[in-house]
Amino acid sequence: MFYRLSGVRHADYVSDSRIYKVPTDRNLAVFFLIIGLAAPFIIPSLYLNSYMLPWLIWTAAALGLNLVTGWAGQLHLGYAAVMAVGAYSAIHAARFGVPWEFALIIGGLASSVIGSLFAFAALRVKGLYLAITTLAMQFVMDWVLSHSPTISGGSHASLQSPTLTLLGQEITSDRAYYYVAFGWCVLVTIFMLNLKRTGLGRALVAVREKDYAAAILGVNSFYYKILAFATSSFIAGISGAILVATFFFLAAPEQFSVNVSIQVLAMVIVGGLSSIIGSYFGVALILLVPGVVNTVVASVSQWLGMQVNVETLAHIPNAVYGALIVVVLLIEPLGLGKLYGNVRDYLMVWPFDQLRK
Amino acid sequence: MKTLTKALAAISLMAGMSAGTQGLAEPFKVGVCYDLSKAYTFATPQVSQAAMDLAKLINMQGGIGGEPVEVIVRDHGNEPQRGIECYSRLSREGVFVFDTLSTPVSLAILPRAMEDERILMQSLVGRGDAVDGTVFEWVYPVGPTYWGQAANNIGYIKKLHDGDLTDVKIAFIYFDYPFGQEPIEILKTLSEREGFELQLYPVPLPGTDQAGAWSKMRREKPDHIISWMLGGGHVVASKEMTRNGIPMDKYISVNWLNEVDIANIGAEAATGLKRGTNVVGGLDVPLRQLIIKELYDKGEGSGPLVKTQDVYYNTGLAMYSIVFEAARKAVELEGLPITARSYKAGLESLEGYDANGLMAPITVTAEDHGGGGKTRIEMWNGETWVPQTDWLSEYSDVVWEVVKESSSKYGQ
Repeated sequence: MFYRLSGVRHADYVSDSRIYKVPTDRNLAVFFLIIGLAAPFIIPSLYLNSYMLPWLIWTAAALGLNLVTGWAGQLHLGYAAVMAVGAYSAIHAARFGVPWEFALIIGGLASSVIGSLFAFAALRVKGLYLAITTLAMQFVMDWVLSHSPTISGGSHASLQSPTLTLLGQEITSDRAYYYVAFGWCVLVTIFMLNLKRTGLGRALVAVREKDYAAAILGVNSFYYKILAFATSSFIAGISGAILVATFFFLAAPEQFSVNVSIQVLAMVIVGGLSSIIGSYFGVALILLVPGVVNTVVASVSQWLGMQVNVETLAHIPNAVYGALIVVVLLIEPLGLGKLYGNVRDYLMVWPFDQLRK
Repeated sequence: MKTLTKALAAISLMAGMSAGTQGLAEPFKVGVCYDLSKAYTFATPQVSQAAMDLAKLINMQGGIGGEPVEVIVRDHGNEPQRGIECYSRLSREGVFVFDTLSTPVSLAILPRAMEDERILMQSLVGRGDAVDGTVFEWVYPVGPTYWGQAANNIGYIKKLHDGDLTDVKIAFIYFDYPFGQEPIEILKTLSEREGFELQLYPVPLPGTDQAGAWSKMRREKPDHIISWMLGGGHVVASKEMTRNGIPMDKYISVNWLNEVDIANIGAEAATGLKRGTNVVGGLDVPLRQLIIKELYDKGEGSGPLVKTQDVYYNTGLAMYSIVFEAARKAVELEGLPITARSYKAGLESLEGYDANGLMAPITVTAEDHGGGGKTRIEMWNGETWVPQTDWLSEYSDVVWEVVKESSSKYGQ
């Protein structure tokens, strides 16, 4: 009923490999695209700027990590470090006078190079060993940032980002920042949607499932692993640069520290490995829920007139947030994306599935 | 569609305007976006409790210019994006004075505060070069910078050696990340000028492994040890000192050492330990006693009494005495309602203000947002803190050289 399937026939390969096989999915996507475009006019600037903007940028970043962890199956614990490479290279390039368009690409490429360098080291190991290797990369990057003032911007380790200028337009208003983030997130999403139906995507999945089985099928797992690391690092680099250029306005090592790496991994896992919509949900849960719960708890206690100690008040949201992650993963270990999938599958045949019972 | 967008735009504009006018009629609010749940919890509960107690006391005494004051405490968990959210949310509620007590969050808010012309108080955290008011117009790190504090410590050591530091060995043990690395530059400059030997001992975070540094120190025998560590780091250091036979009175800590750390070291064992501070330690501070009498004795304190028996509580009282005194000055100068501009003028008219003997007297000017950066050395005598010097502000020329050099890079 909600997902009308009648008349939807896939008679050839082209039609069968469409991104949206059911028109309702496509319509939903278009609907949310329009909402996203109209957001600056319908969402109050506080929510636009403090929730939507970081949400979209982190979603783009999480999608990049999903590529290497969800699709190619390579556990990555140093993702924030790769974002840092992109952010710092792009800002240094922009400060040097390179136009921002190129600075962003330089950031992406620099991340790509450093990310794949580490991939080389990582290619000899798998699973938990790979996780530790990438974690080491994170620590190396933290150390480099805190010990090289030329990179991190002086003794305070904060590097100011010059005003973002794209296509000759100075980007300074809340709306403009939002559209930059939105544009980047849409671009990455389109790339990821298409990845599914390309040879590259299939090869990555083959490598994930069993790399030597993939090798028997003629998939060069070495090559595809590196490609996965390089592509995901490229996305990470640009996301990091955009994050600093439109949200933080200056880069500091704490923004890309090890706990941020773990947070991004949590976003991907809670959202669902190799689920695109899941990444959106996962980022929302990990990034935004703590703030939302905090506000809710604060206003509820104020409304009830309770004299709650500020410290207690600060820890309740943490407990709620932690419980929320546990509950989500208990209900659906495959993440929020799968949870959405379950609802969709249910509605797909509703109400006719009731007839059989 | 067009009319709909217009209508929506009009509504949001109206909502924005009404929020703007509300801000004028309401009490003087301070946005306290603190990390109450992650890295800074060693100090934030005491400081925020002091802020709330002080606000209560001021309201009992009739507020500022007849208007009540309010501190809004929110947790940001030391995450920059949540700090920004706190800042954006409270700004829209008409708050124009913010305090974060977190370096990463302070750094994240700084560009916005500068752009929006809102006051960012950042005593003891954030970038130290923000004391340069000519560059950082809206940022007020009132109190000492780490540079100034380190310079004052050297000044104190110089006095101990009758003004001659040649052949003196000074060790600097620090957490090996920006917080600990900050004073190195100034110590090196002073070492060249005064001729003392500077030995550097980096300690990896979180400071639990210091064995290597201290056994090396036993061999190199420094005369004084300046320590830039936090919380548990001091406790580990004290154990290593005992193990290596280094007497406690060589140890001069950064201001981040409190009664909790003393208790962990052992009150008796910590005798002789020194710390640089801009705030008077101990329980005899008049303002603290007034608060105990007016609030805690009547059961109206903002938290447990034990938290007020902590030098970070005094630190909080000092920070917020400045915040509210500036508001008073603002009312005196330009009347109600207080705006960001009049508040700024209020801050910059603070002269020799010491909150009734609570802290080093500060004089904030348009150029010096640090208020002079005076500190003194206090020693733990087994029961309480005993001052060893007057309020010092040494080598300000060197400190300001470093400040100017660093601040000149901002905005480039």
